[in-house]
Amino acid sequence: MSSTSTDLGEATFTRVYDAPRQLVFACMTEPEHLTHFWGPVGVSTPIENITVDLHVGGAFETIMVNDADGTEYPSRGVYTEIDPPHTLAWVEPDIGMTSRSTFTDLGDGRTEVRIVQSHVPALFRTPEAQAGMASSFDRFAGYLATLTV
Amino acid sequence: MAEDDRDEVALDAIFAALADGTRRQILTRLSQGEATVNELAAPFAISLPAVSKHLKVLERAGLISRTRDGQFRPCRLEADRLDHASDWIEQNRQIWSDRFDKLSAHLRDLTSTPTNKDTADE
Repeated sequence: MSSTSTDLGEATFTRVYDAPRQLVFACMTEPEHLTHFWGPVGVSTPIENITVDLHVGGAFETIMVNDADGTEYPSRGVYTEIDPPHTLAWVEPDIGMTSRSTFTDLGDGRTEVRIVQSHVPALFRTPEAQAGMASSFDRFAGYLATLTV
Repeated sequence: MAEDDRDEVALDAIFAALADGTRRQILTRLSQGEATVNELAAPFAISLPAVSKHLKVLERAGLISRTRDGQFRPCRLEADRLDHASDWIEQNRQIWSDRFDKLSAHLRDLTSTPTNKDTADE
């Protein structure tokens, strides 16, 4: 499994692909690739709903569509870091969430993608909140489970 | 304000409220049943006003509620609100998990050739 977690305000997702780094990077930055996988199960992202303006300050916008009822889920991002085929980052200004992907060539034709995503906007960056973030995301999840059974 | 925005604001308040050990302990205590401010303050070496301040944060986040009448105004855990936060975490994790699965499949399609497609493992 591929997703691990760190702090409460941050999540890391890692996956190894059996493909060269250039190709994996292209998949994350070209609409004709993104349309194949950007929507989770039950959700599609038609190619005309994907905007990629691949430079720092450029737009990364998608509108995912629920296959069952047509509900649209728009997402508005702005690229903050582009270093093909090593690094890709964007911020979603509306919610303050950032996503930074690093692509590592494992040397055997495989590529590791690691996405670090900051979950929680503004309030979490106050000193008071930072001080409380020592508890790990996993412990938090376990804690929630004990409260909600 | 759009529903999504309200959701985000609510999540901000919930996560900020949870980012404090004392407040998490208060919630754990309340998961066992209602309690008054005095009862909640008992295990902590902090003043009643300090506990009241924590309770206000939890109340604003909707994680607890307090009855408006009665001298002791006992606090109650609002477990649905915690579900709201944990649902969001799980949804976000699931979205990336699905994306990665689909990207794997897409890359397999791109890199496999007609001759080895049938024998490709996985």
